[in-house]
Amino acid sequence: MKLSIGHLYPDLLNLYGDRGNIQCFCKRLEWRGIEAEVIPFLSGSRIDFSKLDIVLLGGGSDREQELVCQYMKEIKSDFKNYVEDNGVVLAVCGGYQLLGKYYKTDKKMIEGLEILDIYTEWEPERLIRNIILNSPLFSAPIVGFENHGGRTYIGNHTPLGKVFFGLGNTGKSGYEGVVYKNIIATYLHGPLLPKNPQVCDYLLERALKRKYGEDIKLEKLPDRLEQKANNYIVGRYSDKKYVLKETIKRYT
Amino acid sequence: MLIKKLNRGSGVTLPGYVARLIDPQILSVMSGMVREKTIVTMGTNGKTTTNSILYHALKAEGKTVIINRTGANMLNGIISAFVLATDRKGRLHADYACIEVDEIASVRVLPQLKPDCALLTNISRDQLDRFGEVDITYNKIKTAVLSVPETKLILNCDDILSYSLTQDCQNSYVTYGISEQIFDDISRSEVRESIFCRSCGKKLSYDFFHYGQLGIYHCPNCGLKRPEPDYTAENIVLHDTARPSAKPSAGTMEKGQCAAASADYAAQVSLSAGRPVLSDRMYSFTLGSMEISSQARSPYNIYNTLSAYAALCALQTPMKKFKQTIEGFDYGNNRESVFMINGTRVQLHLAKNPIGFQQKISLVLKDPDPKDVIIQINDTYQDGEDISWLWDVDFQYLANANAATITTNGTRRHDMGLRLKYEDIPCSSTTDLRKTVEKLTAEGTKNLYVIVNYSGLYRTNHMLTELQAITKGGSAS
Repeated sequence: MKLSIGHLYPDLLNLYGDRGNIQCFCKRLEWRGIEAEVIPFLSGSRIDFSKLDIVLLGGGSDREQELVCQYMKEIKSDFKNYVEDNGVVLAVCGGYQLLGKYYKTDKKMIEGLEILDIYTEWEPERLIRNIILNSPLFSAPIVGFENHGGRTYIGNHTPLGKVFFGLGNTGKSGYEGVVYKNIIATYLHGPLLPKNPQVCDYLLERALKRKYGEDIKLEKLPDRLEQKANNYIVGRYSDKKYVLKETIKRYT
Repeated sequence: MLIKKLNRGSGVTLPGYVARLIDPQILSVMSGMVREKTIVTMGTNGKTTTNSILYHALKAEGKTVIINRTGANMLNGIISAFVLATDRKGRLHADYACIEVDEIASVRVLPQLKPDCALLTNISRDQLDRFGEVDITYNKIKTAVLSVPETKLILNCDDILSYSLTQDCQNSYVTYGISEQIFDDISRSEVRESIFCRSCGKKLSYDFFHYGQLGIYHCPNCGLKRPEPDYTAENIVLHDTARPSAKPSAGTMEKGQCAAASADYAAQVSLSAGRPVLSDRMYSFTLGSMEISSQARSPYNIYNTLSAYAALCALQTPMKKFKQTIEGFDYGNNRESVFMINGTRVQLHLAKNPIGFQQKISLVLKDPDPKDVIIQINDTYQDGEDISWLWDVDFQYLANANAATITTNGTRRHDMGLRLKYEDIPCSSTTDLRKTVEKLTAEGTKNLYVIVNYSGLYRTNHMLTELQAITKGGSAS
């Protein structure tokens, strides 16, 4: 078995250790004896979505997103068809914003791919901190780090999870990210997957089932270190004293 | 002054805080009392080293110079540096002020300081959780520079981001850059910032990269290109000198001999206060007509030296002692210290962002001997709470570093462990750094690297100094 992972525009969207998400996909396939191929698509290159099993759309600065926007127009309908055909997508940060209708920054209007019925608006105060979600999709919490100036309004879409600690989509809604078909879109980096192997395996299993049939089951991997890293953050922010201390520090 | 009495312990920002409460204009007033020039150093990497070179070069010319202490580069720390340099009547006696300024703080500091010149080392990815994005860092610096139109800029023209300031600001400027390819592959992480033209948005072409986005670039679309620098370093050669005799090579010496030699060695190391006496390969280069045999072991320090040289030339300061100062300059700067513990050579290194870390990995790989490695990653506000940058470092090279053991430590030891796990590099973790150092120096390869990020530096340095004193560098009982 083999999965092809398309990394979109790594020359423009490569903030916050996106490489860690790719590495995680690859290693967790490799450790199970499944082949993985990563195809980086630099801005301007042609993308054949029919050859891809997973698409990763990473984070970029506002300026870089503006540049990406022009290349997006060329792939808009192909990308949409891929998603509607249950193609697997992980979109992080800027990539998450780009899946929506638009991202209105302080200066510009960046047109999105219109794959999700969501939109993002910039506010001057950036939302920056560790974040923990509880998602009905997973038994373990999802942990990561968020850093975004945009507030994303997700309308009727299903969020990825409920915020246990942190700020999330708008800083007020109490929810974070979007799940739609086989898309997971989120502000969480850190990067997301190595500390949340449950999310990685969820996406890998979806991709394998789409390609090789519903009988595919992923074998379990020894994830002790992953759990330790995940538990550390959950433990830290379950401690009310610690949270109070950090809050005081933040505002002084 | 009462404020000076507040300068107790390691905190060097409190006096500044109090002084500012008393007089909000204090920095403007005090910087106006500097007799000759005020030089500000900013940028992601190399600030402290560059500022220290400036300080020592000016001191060598017989000048009285004010400098802010390492890390005290926000508003209060800078005010403290001035306040603590006054006499009892509150008068300042200084010919020069060499001030390192944090990029975020620059917006408030520069308009008050009104420096004669502002040196920018480079703008790269650093502590993204504080700065948001590298463009935000750029905009902070731009805002700061726009507020001081009289300040002369000293810019690294190999860095497209730094060089963009010449388009966005009207300040006079000089450039420095290096046209020779001096960085190895490992120094060049795959992650780059800003390889798109700042004018037209098209992808830049590079003849070659130094590291990060630094290199010899041009835009095939609009014709923007890296200019010929005003100041450059040439004939850069890394001298492959034999290891100095001080090295107590555990492999070739008898045990008793080793203990004695290491005691001498430890004395020598402590006398030279962290000077890299064990350095194996050092750079020589020419600046203008000066041929300099430096103690720099990494090409980054050539940049730091060159930028200081450019600033001093631009300010037309006397430079009779410059060559001598640089040749005796300790680039270690307390950030790289060598200890002798239980007959083991222990090196302490600070790495606080991906480019810094890449440099340390390159250094570790240049040492062919077997080694033990400890990596400590903390995530306090000072370190940067976001540790995603660990994934922007090419740790895969550590697989070929001849490392007998790798141990992770610090609040984010498991994240560091995961980073290595996903390169199939085995490691263990510890919560007791001291015990681990004791164990590894007693039973390990006799060659230990400890790499820490910011908040762990002072405590670890203290702990290693203490262990060195206890074991007197020789074998433990």
